[in-house]
Amino acid sequence: MDWSLILGIIITIITAFTVGMFYGGISRKVTARIQNRVGPPIWQNFLDVLKLYSKESAIHHGWMQHLGPLWAITASTATLMFVPILNNGQFYENLNFSGDLIFLIYMMVLGQLGMALGAGQTGNPNSAIGVSRGLSQMVGYKVPWLLALVAIMIQFKVTSITGILELQNEIGWLMFASPFAFIAGLLAFIGMMHYAPFDIVFAPSELASGPPSEFGGKYLGLMMTSGAIFTFAKLVLFVDIFLGGASNILELLLKTFVIYMIPVLYGIVSPRYRTEQSIRYFWGWPTFFGVIGMLYAWYMIA
Amino acid sequence: MNINPKIDKKDSLTISEYIKNFARKHSLFVLAYGTGCGAIEIPPTMTSRYDAERFGIRGAATPRQADVLLITGYLATKTLKRVIRVYEQMQDPKYVIGFGSCTINGGMYWDSYNTINSLDKYIPVDVFINGCMPRPEAVISGFVKLQEYIQEGKADGWLKYQNNIEEYRANQKRVIKNWRMPDYNW
Amino acid sequence: MSEHIKEKETLEAITTAFEKVNGVVQRDKRIIVRTEAETIPGVLLYAKERLKYNHFSHMSCVDWIEDKQFELVYILWSPEDKIQLIIKCRINRENPIMQNIDNIWRQANTYEREIREMYGIEFEGLVGAKEFILEDWEDMPPMRRDFDTKEYSNDHFFDRPGREDAKDVRTEITERSGEEIPDFAKKYTRD
Repeated sequence: MDWSLILGIIITIITAFTVGMFYGGISRKVTARIQNRVGPPIWQNFLDVLKLYSKESAIHHGWMQHLGPLWAITASTATLMFVPILNNGQFYENLNFSGDLIFLIYMMVLGQLGMALGAGQTGNPNSAIGVSRGLSQMVGYKVPWLLALVAIMIQFKVTSITGILELQNEIGWLMFASPFAFIAGLLAFIGMMHYAPFDIVFAPSELASGPPSEFGGKYLGLMMTSGAIFTFAKLVLFVDIFLGGASNILELLLKTFVIYMIPVLYGIVSPRYRTEQSIRYFWGWPTFFGVIGMLYAWYMIA
Repeated sequence: MNINPKIDKKDSLTISEYIKNFARKHSLFVLAYGTGCGAIEIPPTMTSRYDAERFGIRGAATPRQADVLLITGYLATKTLKRVIRVYEQMQDPKYVIGFGSCTINGGMYWDSYNTINSLDKYIPVDVFINGCMPRPEAVISGFVKLQEYIQEGKADGWLKYQNNIEEYRANQKRVIKNWRMPDYNW
Repeated sequence: MSEHIKEKETLEAITTAFEKVNGVVQRDKRIIVRTEAETIPGVLLYAKERLKYNHFSHMSCVDWIEDKQFELVYILWSPEDKIQLIIKCRINRENPIMQNIDNIWRQANTYEREIREMYGIEFEGLVGAKEFILEDWEDMPPMRRDFDTKEYSNDHFFDRPGREDAKDVRTEITERSGEEIPDFAKKYTRD
């Protein structure tokens, strides 16, 4: 039994949860300040999750409804396990085996799939609309995101994140070595964070919070936990691929925070898109930059 | 399955209950369901002028996610039916705030044929805010009072509802004659 | 002031076209016409097709309990002349039946359903003549004046004590203005 692996997994999850929760709190605070409010304290999300876990009753709609949040948190934790937190293996290595970028592309969809199945069982029409919107939007932002990642894989002939990190030690950050892929990736990333204007899935005022509308109490707590972990995993993955990773925790927090603030700040000043507007957005400029990134990669290796 | 459990109220709080109550107190999700004219006071309470979010009060879109049911103003018998269904869908512990004179004694609709007079005969109410309309300051003060009750463990309307369900049902059926409602199973 | 030329012309046209119709120009841009219940569809159709009163503003009902009659009020509006035409008729309060006019204006259907529910007036051939606003209502139609809303409220809802200090301001007002409280209103006292 490798105790350091288990210790590493636990510490990684706790770190991801804490950072993700604090980022959520900071985003609420920033939103409040921009709206000229005082806003909740930045640890508000912890209180919310604690309260949700201390709810004393739970509704039963069927097996898949119970499994949905568990599936989501499993998928987000698994995603986290395959992302190197710091470069050069300074943090716990967990499961960063080679070839993991392609694997992660599949893994990142899994959580939303679980949510979709769980929400589908509840029978709430708002959930069904939210799920269909979410899957449509996923079709939207996956295109530029995949184009960006494939451009990098072609250009540098590397598919593992550890490989990309080592590469960036030599040639510098990939956002400069492969700028068009970076732009496409960043624009797709804004959509992946599900903040406004891309919050069409959870739209509280029109869909009554969408897929989780029948989930309350502990299920919602699990979903919030999963969301916090997944946010951190996505941020670290983005930093690892484009911003050269981080050599210590402080640098990691700085870089992830900067990347996190882009969708947050963009979202505060933007109204919500409709579904087709959102998809049209992703298939517009982000995809264009993705294609340019592919051509650039082809040009660079030729 | 015992669908009507009797839960006893304890006298003193353990440490874990203290922590739970602390979290519940600082994280109140209010169901966005306006029953009467008082709902117009909620937007100023929530937005930048009075900013209820600094107390951890935020809106929830569905009853499953909500903790607080805010009855904003008069309740027609038709609305009461929906309110009861919403209240029963909420997850324990849940709190009700009666908002405005109409929920207390009927207010200006005291002799109306389709407006109920005392809300607390139909669902348990933890805090009443009086006034017609209560200003956002009064609403926030009511929420702060609710927070005090939650911390002390006194906001136990949901326990009262579980323990006295027959009495509440009898009162509800007196108003809602054609009772076609799903059963409340905890 | 133009001496209500347009209003008088309209009134003249209606009174010459129908018998048993009398009317008055009440004030600027308002005509009141009183007629029999069976003439109502004819008058409405005439006003709509010939006189261009093609906007159906409102339809209402008044309970004249002393005369044992219901009064139905149809309010039309002419967008061209900017004149309001109010057509009134009275029907018997016992077993009240009225002609349906929702084939002239479809929106009248909604008003008729509401009046049917609130006053108990049946309209012949009304589409959707079923439960409309009131849910599970078993009592007398509640807008009739012999329906005692306070008694109903006392019977069905729970009163909370604590309104004893509320004053009856009607006596004060009647003394001040030298009027009397009408007989039908005397039962609504606080004593």
